[in-house]
Amino acid sequence: MDQLDAAFTALADPTRRAIVTRLARGDATVNELAAPFDMTLPAISKHLKVLERCGLISRTRRAQFRPCHLERQALDAAMSWIEENRRIWAQRFDKLDAHLRDIQGAPAPEETAPHGTSRPPETAPGGAPPPSGSGSPGGTSLSGGASSGRERNEP
Amino acid sequence: MSDQPSGVGELTYTRVFDAPRELVFRCMIEPEHLTHFWGPAGVSTPLESIKVDARPGGVFETVMVNDADGSRYPTQAVYLEVVEPEKLVWTEPGTGMTTTSTFSDLGGSRTEVRIRQTNVPEAVRSPEAQAGFATSLDRFAVYLATLANDV
Repeated sequence: MDQLDAAFTALADPTRRAIVTRLARGDATVNELAAPFDMTLPAISKHLKVLERCGLISRTRRAQFRPCHLERQALDAAMSWIEENRRIWAQRFDKLDAHLRDIQGAPAPEETAPHGTSRPPETAPGGAPPPSGSGSPGGTSLSGGASSGRERNEP
Repeated sequence: MSDQPSGVGELTYTRVFDAPRELVFRCMIEPEHLTHFWGPAGVSTPLESIKVDARPGGVFETVMVNDADGSRYPTQAVYLEVVEPEKLVWTEPGTGMTTTSTFSDLGGSRTEVRIRQTNVPEAVRSPEAQAGFATSLDRFAVYLATLANDV
């Protein structure tokens, strides 16, 4: 199992997600991490070990209270996979929206496409994407700032 | 509105299009349509690279080409289910990731497309992942992205 898979598996658990969220605000000891949960310290420690094994967190060996530290790089790898995937579908759907307007002969992106019209497309297929925000509501929302340039391999 | 409980390792994307369901469905299985939208922004999918054999066991192959540097991203999938014009399911043998597209007729020539990806990636199938991974995992990603700016 590679690091990314391991990170996904570790983050599948809501308690571990909560721990990671807490650590995103700063280092914390096991006691501090356990406080919000109705769990024993050993139970929390077990979760920490899973997170540590997949590289999502690290613990100082020397300090007495061994504060936990979030390893952002490992987390970012898992998170960027999800955001990348979301971005691809959002952009693909933007393009499909534009393509559907083209082939249905819709006059303008802002207007609702009249159905039943069969005029040939006037704009070059695959041309300019619609202005952002013209996409239909009720769906794929890209959170601001998710825009790394890398492409993923997927159908 | 989710019609069933979320599965393990599942990510969903939904969009409503102003087009009849039959047309939207055809866009997803005809290379002449796919070539116009399959690549995300800045990425083309040349018509000759698209192979679609829309029936169970048939192939769905594309090559996405980065417009900026020409790098190519070939992808290979196999259809598991094809129910025109309602549903498409394909799986990528390489990763095991399965994508289900559901097309709902909303009336008034509007169509909702829901993409569900499961087995994302392989490891989320593990028993450890039985804790509502997906629904909150993609929101978690968005949340953490905002948090990252503060730290």
